[in-house]
Amino acid sequence: MKRLMSLLPSLPALPIPWALLSHYRRHPLQLLALATMIVLATMLWTGVNQLTSQARASLEQSEQTVAERQQVVRDNGQALMVEDFVSLRLAGVCVMPWLEVTPASGNRIIGIDPLAAHCFGAGASRGGDQPLDGKPFVDMSTAASAGEAHLYLLTPDSTQDSDLPAAYHLKTFATGPETGELGDSFLLNLEALGVLVLLITALLLRSVYLLGLAQRRDSFALLHRFGVSPGQVQRWLVLEIIALALICVVPGVWLGRWLAAGLGGGFGQALDGLFDIPLYAGHGQGWITPVLVMLTVVVIACLGDLLLLRFRERLSLSVPNQGRLATALLLAGLVMAWLAPSLPWAFVAVALVFAGAAWLTPATVTHFANWRADQSKAPLARWRYRELAVLARRLTLPLVALQFALAMVLAVQALVTTFEDTFDRWLAQRLEAAYYIEVPVGADSRKAADWLTSKQVSNPGMNWHQVIRGSTRMTDKAAASSQQVDVYALAPISTLITGWGLLEAEDHPWEALAGNKGVMINEQLARRQTLGAGDTLQLVLDEQTRDMRILGVYPDYGRPVGEVLMNAEALPENFIARSESFSITPGELGITPVTDGLKRIWSVETLSMRDNSTIRELATGVFDQTFALTRAMTLLTLILAASALLMMGWVFFTTRAWYFRLLVVWGMSQQEVAGQLLRLALALTGGIALLALPLGVWLTWVLVHRINPLAFGWSLPMAVYPTFWLELGALSLAIGLSIAVLMRRQLGKPSVAPVSASALTGGER
Amino acid sequence: MTESLLAVRGLSKHFVSGNETVPVIEKLTFTLDQGLSLALVGRSGSGKSTLLNLLCGLESPDAGTIVMQGQVFDAGSAATREKAAAWASLRRQQIGVVFQEANLMPALTLLENVRFRAQLAGRDPANSEDWLTRLDIGDLARRYPDQVSGGQRQRAALAMVFAMEPALILADEPTGSLDRQTAAEVAQVLFDLQARYCCGLILATHDAELAAGCQQLLDLGHLSAV
Repeated sequence: MKRLMSLLPSLPALPIPWALLSHYRRHPLQLLALATMIVLATMLWTGVNQLTSQARASLEQSEQTVAERQQVVRDNGQALMVEDFVSLRLAGVCVMPWLEVTPASGNRIIGIDPLAAHCFGAGASRGGDQPLDGKPFVDMSTAASAGEAHLYLLTPDSTQDSDLPAAYHLKTFATGPETGELGDSFLLNLEALGVLVLLITALLLRSVYLLGLAQRRDSFALLHRFGVSPGQVQRWLVLEIIALALICVVPGVWLGRWLAAGLGGGFGQALDGLFDIPLYAGHGQGWITPVLVMLTVVVIACLGDLLLLRFRERLSLSVPNQGRLATALLLAGLVMAWLAPSLPWAFVAVALVFAGAAWLTPATVTHFANWRADQSKAPLARWRYRELAVLARRLTLPLVALQFALAMVLAVQALVTTFEDTFDRWLAQRLEAAYYIEVPVGADSRKAADWLTSKQVSNPGMNWHQVIRGSTRMTDKAAASSQQVDVYALAPISTLITGWGLLEAEDHPWEALAGNKGVMINEQLARRQTLGAGDTLQLVLDEQTRDMRILGVYPDYGRPVGEVLMNAEALPENFIARSESFSITPGELGITPVTDGLKRIWSVETLSMRDNSTIRELATGVFDQTFALTRAMTLLTLILAASALLMMGWVFFTTRAWYFRLLVVWGMSQQEVAGQLLRLALALTGGIALLALPLGVWLTWVLVHRINPLAFGWSLPMAVYPTFWLELGALSLAIGLSIAVLMRRQLGKPSVAPVSASALTGGER
Repeated sequence: MTESLLAVRGLSKHFVSGNETVPVIEKLTFTLDQGLSLALVGRSGSGKSTLLNLLCGLESPDAGTIVMQGQVFDAGSAATREKAAAWASLRRQQIGVVFQEANLMPALTLLENVRFRAQLAGRDPANSEDWLTRLDIGDLARRYPDQVSGGQRQRAALAMVFAMEPALILADEPTGSLDRQTAAEVAQVLFDLQARYCCGLILATHDAELAAGCQQLLDLGHLSAV
């Protein structure tokens, strides 16, 4: 009995899982590879997802903070004093003092009075209900002692002009430019790419798992002979992968969050720098969602075949039919993407094209390789092409994953570069001059314009124009309808604006606009009304409908309202302006003489002025960080895909080492064989890079020309970057080179002859 | 008088296992004349496969000399670039090697395999299909190795070897994975062709019946030549 007890630890209590798991005792690296792949895939997707949700939360928070609010100003344009605050509160108006101080050194600080903010309700909790123990929000008295201060009085959106005492009126209050739909668009694209990352990681997981499964087939067959049913084996496999997923997914999610937090810190700093306010949301999704998503992905990726075995048998198709179906999916996706009437259709189209490409890519490489083998006279070339065909078939999943990853990186690079370029132009368009000065209510802008004209004569470096914003109606005679459009009127048509890129235009459009021979419209209006350069639109000005020739269409990067850009000289005298301002680049003159002059002309003590260069610098900082993060995450995806292919390629080449060594037995030197392997590996990875290229370019096109217009009504310019293609090609070749180097090392070692020519013992064809 | 194809003098080889040096072959001497066959016998681990590897330059001896078609290879010579190239040239054109299994490239058809080997050896590949026909597998020429039986694969391996017109065939348990009848058929084909084309044959085997078909016998277990 005692002897029997001593044997118990070595006897398995559950013989079937013990027998199944014995595979990993013999091949611990395989288990480690699978676990590592689950951890890395989880980390990558969680990281991307976390960053995207953080970026979205941060941008939303920043936009809320800098969004236009209301402030109360004096009718006479004079600076507000504490007495104004008192008299307004006595009149029952909810106002909160907002004291902006720019110290001699350091960031701007804002002094607020938390008690005064309470009448804002929950909406004013930011800063108001929090202890004022750090920058930029400090107590009013602290801010006042920090330097020269400017007092604003903010009031809730519910306050109406009629609520105010005489001598006051409402005015918008904004602390920065809105990123608006440009930011939304970028984040939508990031989310779409996050789904693609999930798909790629699923493919990689599946490839690694199937490799292990194939090597365990002999064990399964043996168990079957011992009377264990396939169902029992499958159930244990399900339990095995769920247990492994549970063990690996949690640390993967933790790593992903850690990665996102590490990378996102910089993002938060950039946001803080932009708005002088701690805006970084710093939190994305919780733990449950990513853990559940990744568990589902792991189980489906690894055991999808088992779960859908019956469907799979019913749906099994012959090889030619698979090819036809894949081609049909691809073509359907391409057509659908072209004609997609809404966003869901565009996403379905992308899914179809990727499914078709995934099916067709290995088949295309195989057909090409076999065709080249048939054409080749040289025996080694023929052998090499036949081997390439085998590789393409056997490494289907990691190859497709690499193709997707390459396509995604290519699309993201083009997208990010396009966004950067667009963002620059968006900023340039909105911040075209160095300074933006609002015309005080009741002030004579004409006098100011005359004065600026006289100043410009003596200061040729100076540049300016007056901006009048308002709205009017645009009529459609044919449809007997009309709609409101924004009016963006400028005078004079200076070089501040003539540098804008136009989507389409007649000849010399800016000269024509300066000569008051027509108007320009924004992209939104052009798309909605199917208007273009050379067409005519009818605007209601001064109670009269006027035909206006469209001189050009300008991009507006997300402005949701139709807008007409016209020469301010064409506006009737009684046009009601919503706002008037001057955009001024003072040149060598400097801004102080300009502001002094304008204060004198308008008889005001202070001017509402915005320094556009600071805003440009800060805004650029935020987006640069976001773009850098996006690039970093897609690069990580590519590295993961490349590592998986490297690992799979190496495993596969190792199982085939006997046959490569056969070439040495047949009289080729190791160098010659290594050279052949190098050419083989380079052909494989280079071929995949080539096939990824059209997919990546197409994906870029879909993102900028289909998804963006469908989601937001405006398109980004499509750009391709061949230098980056070359970089990706070089990277693919480097992966091939690495496989070849590993194989060369393998060639030097003695290899064991395969026991049979069955699958994954090296005898595949 | 027959010309000596191969002469082995004082050949030794050992392997290192942990801290221990295990001698596999010690001071082996024998010759093989053109057109004759030699059976290598001995228990498992007696060094049959190692000797075949030494005789085609895939491994280098620790001591002794191999003279193959007038070329002299000393201990360590396989490692030098010139000698390695000389061995490679011999394997490519003069020495045909047949293993127990996996002699064919899996991605090539039987015919493509035979052509491939012939072209590597610099021979005319036009006769490749004839060789398969002579070995009774002409109708399987366009099949892949995993589409034919083990015996048919070994016949194809022999077709490959004879298509390269070798001076010496090194066969390592060529029938070891086959059933008795198929093994006998494959062995018969091997001996017939070896005799017809007058090449040397060194055959490593456990099978006494197969060994008996050779003109000479070398028992590595007892280091005795008969």
